[in-house]
Amino acid sequence: MDGAIFPLRASAETRQVRFMTAGSVDDGKSTLIGRLLLDSGVLMRDQAASIGDDEEDLAALTDGLEAERAQGITIDVAYRYFETPRASFIIADAPGHEQYTRNMVTAASVSDVAVIVIDASRVDGGALKRQTRRHAAIAALMGLDVIVAVNKMDLIGWSQERFADIETAFADLAGALKLSGVVCVPVSARRGDNVVRRGGADWWRGPTLIEVIEQSRGPATRHDAPLRLPIQAVLRDVTSRFYVGRIETGSLRPGDSVVLGPHAYPATIASVRIGGRAVARAEAGASVAIEFEDERDVTRGDVVAAAGARYARSVVADVCWLDETAWSKGRRYILRQGTLETQALIEDVAFVHDIEDFSRREGASSLLLNDIASVRLATRDPILADTFAQSPGTGAFALFDPQTNQTCAAGMIREAIT
Amino acid sequence: MRLAYKSDDDAPVSGEASPAPVRVSARLERLEAESVYILRELASFARPALLFSGGKDSAVLLHLAIKAFAPQKAPFKLLHIDTGHNFPEVLAFRDTRARQAGLQLIVRDVEDSIRRGSVRIGPDGSRNAAQAVTLLEAQQEFEFDALIGGARRDEERARAKERVFSHRDAFGAWRPRAQRPELWGLFNRHIGVGEHMRVFPLSNWTEADVWAYIIQEQIELPSLYYAHEREVVRRDGFLFPVTSLTPAEVGATSERIVVRFRTVGDITCTCPVESEAGSAEQVLAETLIATVSERGATRMDDRANSAAMERRKVEGYF
Repeated sequence: MDGAIFPLRASAETRQVRFMTAGSVDDGKSTLIGRLLLDSGVLMRDQAASIGDDEEDLAALTDGLEAERAQGITIDVAYRYFETPRASFIIADAPGHEQYTRNMVTAASVSDVAVIVIDASRVDGGALKRQTRRHAAIAALMGLDVIVAVNKMDLIGWSQERFADIETAFADLAGALKLSGVVCVPVSARRGDNVVRRGGADWWRGPTLIEVIEQSRGPATRHDAPLRLPIQAVLRDVTSRFYVGRIETGSLRPGDSVVLGPHAYPATIASVRIGGRAVARAEAGASVAIEFEDERDVTRGDVVAAAGARYARSVVADVCWLDETAWSKGRRYILRQGTLETQALIEDVAFVHDIEDFSRREGASSLLLNDIASVRLATRDPILADTFAQSPGTGAFALFDPQTNQTCAAGMIREAIT
Repeated sequence: MRLAYKSDDDAPVSGEASPAPVRVSARLERLEAESVYILRELASFARPALLFSGGKDSAVLLHLAIKAFAPQKAPFKLLHIDTGHNFPEVLAFRDTRARQAGLQLIVRDVEDSIRRGSVRIGPDGSRNAAQAVTLLEAQQEFEFDALIGGARRDEERARAKERVFSHRDAFGAWRPRAQRPELWGLFNRHIGVGEHMRVFPLSNWTEADVWAYIIQEQIELPSLYYAHEREVVRRDGFLFPVTSLTPAEVGATSERIVVRFRTVGDITCTCPVESEAGSAEQVLAETLIATVSERGATRMDDRANSAAMERRKVEGYF
């Protein structure tokens, strides 16, 4: 345990960054996570006991379930926690194995930024692996910024030239996917170079991986979007009614004029409470209880929104199919947007994205596990016509199968049909 | 025991008085908001129960539940599965806290399951794993459709893969390979007949977060979480508490030293650590420099096998 860089872990007064990790089976992703935990000093002695003297066994730290240990691969999303003096981190560790794309989508949905791990020693002539293209495509689809950990640099002698080739290859990929602000960092997870502490190459003047992650943009960007507050429940005491929910985007203060539901009934906010205490202002991410100036008929599923909110019964969306049971035409699903649940029907599949060569396959009559498709979707009740790009909280939805109760798709609204 | 650490700046504000929101740690604020959101998702369940043992995580959970539903009463029953091997001061705390919260406390005993023959205790005498059987019996008896627990993902590797809303089939079994994907905050709360949901609002909290929150919110805990003198026997790197249930073995030398508990569970498998930390602030300071994980330091039941927790969870353990 002499690897710790920070003598003391951070106090509680730090911000929190949630990031996901993606990589192919052999890219060294688990080793990288083990390295982050070890060098940030969060790794506990008993948990590190399996490491022994071989640093490659760092990976053993993060391979969780018995089933995956038997298979030698990670099969589900696992969460890890560590801190530096500047921030605390939650890692959603998504698997690299192709058939488990759905877990990467899951991990992406709860993350602020994606770290994609690639094996520098196995990129020949700048050709990125299919898996890497897939991971970048999903990150782009889910609206995440991307940080690339170019791993195993020690195996190619810290070749600046080969790192530059990979950077170029990834820049091309990012261009095709309209991903902006991608940062590549050369690292050796096994040796710990440029992960938390500097090392490896004297030509590298950029930040370490952890520095890039620390500076990544968090959910603060949601504060500028118009107010969306999906109501979870109505609480009552003797004299008042409180409407509770989490602010997905925007902010709220007493006196604000808002609109309720598809008919845009106007209302005025009388009070805003967080944890039972009245506050002068609440922002995206806050779980609040509000009162209106006058009695309003609001229930779970309704949304308190800034004026101008639009609703629609038909939207164009990207859906990622997550269920082993394929989608077939005519089948009805339960759609959840915010706290609203309503029936939904995929009326038409415009095309299935090929997320390796980015071509479009038209005329699909079914959607299989891991398919990502652009669809036209109709709902029984009007839903908010928010696009995922502008309003990630309410521009997203999930589909549940009413027969099996499985969660079968993640959806992102691209445009409303009005 | 607890030191008030809030400054005047953090005093409650009335709606008009302050231009800024109440300032607390950004990280605790995010965690609290998330937990409150999760708890409020349970408002429409028919028969939800909150697992309340009197331990620190369940004390934090209860505190959050009360906050989430104020000014209404939290719509949960409290449920404790008593192994019969609990520390008396923890049980007293459990009863007091339940009474203060005005929530009905249901206690079901592993002892009764043993008498019925549905549980058999292994040679180590620990009743910890047996709790799962009694828990499922209670779930069926009361037809609970949601069981809310204080388990955290940072505690242990199998728990690191757990969903926030974790579906259990009619046999109460967890199927790690068939978990529902959990997207954004759009929890899938649908269950079939006889099935139930396990819900973990503290999933994303760490041990240090819990202690920082205990300080911030001045949450009361049973006294054995803080430094006290106790008779123990040292063996295999653990400190074994000497109690009427766990007397010192013949030939073993016991000693009285100052200790505190990091977790509080079944007496037969929970060990204290040496510590002088008499306040939540001091415990947090120690937590930040700890080199052994919470369960690793104190739980013999996890040490038996690195997959011990996963096996217990598949069988219905929390």
